[in-house]
Amino acid sequence: MFILPLMAILLGIEFYLVFERTTNTYEKGLKEGYFMLAVTKNPMDLSAFQALNEHISTAEKIKRESIVSEVAKGVSQSSSKEILAALPYFYNLGLDSYLHTSGLEQIKKDLEADANIKKVETFGSSYQSNYRLFSFIKFILKIFIVFMAVVSLFLIIKQMEIWKYAHKERMQVMEIFGAPLMLRSGILFKVAFIDAIFSTLLVSGIFFYIKFYWAVQSGIDIMVENQEALFKYSDIGILLGSSILIVIIAVYTVVFSSKGVQE
Amino acid sequence: MSNVIHASHLTLTYGNAGKEVIKDANFSIKKGEFVFITGPSGSGKSTLLKALYGKLRPSEGNLVVGGLDLSNVSQRKLQELRTHMGIIFQDYKLVNEWTVKKNVVLPLMIAGYDSEIQDTQARRLLKHVKLPDHADKFPLELSGGEQQRVGVARALAKNPVVILADEPTGNLDDYSSNVIWDLMENACQQLDTTVLVVTHKIPTIFSLPYRHFIIESKGVYEVH
Repeated sequence: MFILPLMAILLGIEFYLVFERTTNTYEKGLKEGYFMLAVTKNPMDLSAFQALNEHISTAEKIKRESIVSEVAKGVSQSSSKEILAALPYFYNLGLDSYLHTSGLEQIKKDLEADANIKKVETFGSSYQSNYRLFSFIKFILKIFIVFMAVVSLFLIIKQMEIWKYAHKERMQVMEIFGAPLMLRSGILFKVAFIDAIFSTLLVSGIFFYIKFYWAVQSGIDIMVENQEALFKYSDIGILLGSSILIVIIAVYTVVFSSKGVQE
Repeated sequence: MSNVIHASHLTLTYGNAGKEVIKDANFSIKKGEFVFITGPSGSGKSTLLKALYGKLRPSEGNLVVGGLDLSNVSQRKLQELRTHMGIIFQDYKLVNEWTVKKNVVLPLMIAGYDSEIQDTQARRLLKHVKLPDHADKFPLELSGGEQQRVGVARALAKNPVVILADEPTGNLDDYSSNVIWDLMENACQQLDTTVLVVTHKIPTIFSLPYRHFIIESKGVYEVH
C-alpha cells in the first residue's frame, strides 16, 4: 500500500505548514510586543532612528507630561515645568523582525553612537528567555518533521521495491513487444494516482477535523487562538501537488529501473 | 525478394567486460524464409537474437532489420519495429496475472486496436493454436506446451513481418514441440512471414530444405 507512506509524508508537510503559520503568528506577537527604550536629548523622528539602524520600524514618543505627573506629585506647577524642561525625550522603538540578542546589542551600539541619544535600554534578558524557549520548541518540531520525512522516505523506497517486483515482468514483456513507456507504466500510474488522491483527501480530512471539531472541543487556548492557522483550503492544493510529484518520481524510478529483458 | 534481415561486418559484444561473441558476421535473410541458427551452448545464438530485436546494439558493423539500421536507431523507431515482430521465448514470457486472451492480444493492444477486433483475433488465434476454451484461464493453469502455444499465438497476433524464436521447444516434450514447429512452419508458408529460429539442434520433423546458419568461433556461417 503506497497510501500509508504517502500519507506519512503528507502529514509531515501539513505539520510543517501548520507549524510555520502558528510560529509566524507567535513570532509576530513577540515582535510586536517588544520595544526598546531610547532616551534622547532632543526630539527625533522615525527616519532619524532608521538612519542609525535599519531594523527599527516604529518610534513612538512617550509623553513626558505623564512621566512628570507621576514623579512630581504635590510639586508646584512652576516646579513641574522646570522638571519637564529638564527631562530628556523618551521613545519606544519597535523592530521589523525577531532578532537574536546579538542583533539587539548591535542596535543599541548603533543608537548610542549618536551624540543625541543618551541611553538605550534593550530589556535583553526577558527577550532572551522568550527567544530561547521559542527557538527550542521550533528546533524540536523541525527535528520531528525531518524524522517523519526520513521514515516516510524509507517506506516509499520499500513500496517502490514491491512495485518493481510486482510490475517488472509485465512491463518487460510489454517493452519487448514495443509498448511505449506510458502504456507499460499506465497501470502503475493509475494505482499511484488513486493513492495520491486518497492520501490527500485523508490528510486534509484529519486536519479539517482537528480545525473545526477537535480544536474547539479541546478548550486548549493556543489551539483555539490559532484555529485559523490549523488548516487552510489552499493546503489541499499543496498536498495534492506534493503527492502527485512524489508519485511521478516514484513511478518513473520504478519504470526506468525495470527496463530491459531479463537475461 | 527483399532482405528482411541484413548483417554486414557485424560484431556483438556482451557483458560489462565487453566480451566479443560474434565477429565480422555477414548474412542476409529474405522475406518469407524459414531459417535456423544453431551452435553449441554459449556460442552467441541468443545474443544474436537479442541484437535482432534491438535489446543489444552492434558494437561494430551494421544490422538492418525491416529496413532499420539497429546500430543507430532511436528508441521510438525501435519500439515501432518491435510492433512488427513476433518474439517467442524458451521461458514463454507470458504475463502471469493476465488471462490467456489478454496475453494473446498484447501486440494488438499496443497497436491500439479496439476491443472488438481484439476479441475476434483472440478467438481466431486460440482456435488456430488449438486452445479455443482456454481464453479466460491464466498462464500458470496451463501446461508448458500450452503456454508456448499461447506464446506462438501472441507472436502471430499482428501478422508480423518477422518471427524470432529463441529455443522455442527447449522446455517441451516431443508432442508439444511438434505442434509448435507446425504452427511456425504454417505461419511462414501461409502468411509469408520470415521465421528465424535459434536452437541448439534442428528438429528431425523438418523435411523441407530450410536455410541453416551455424555460429562457430564467433563467426556466422551458412550450412549448405
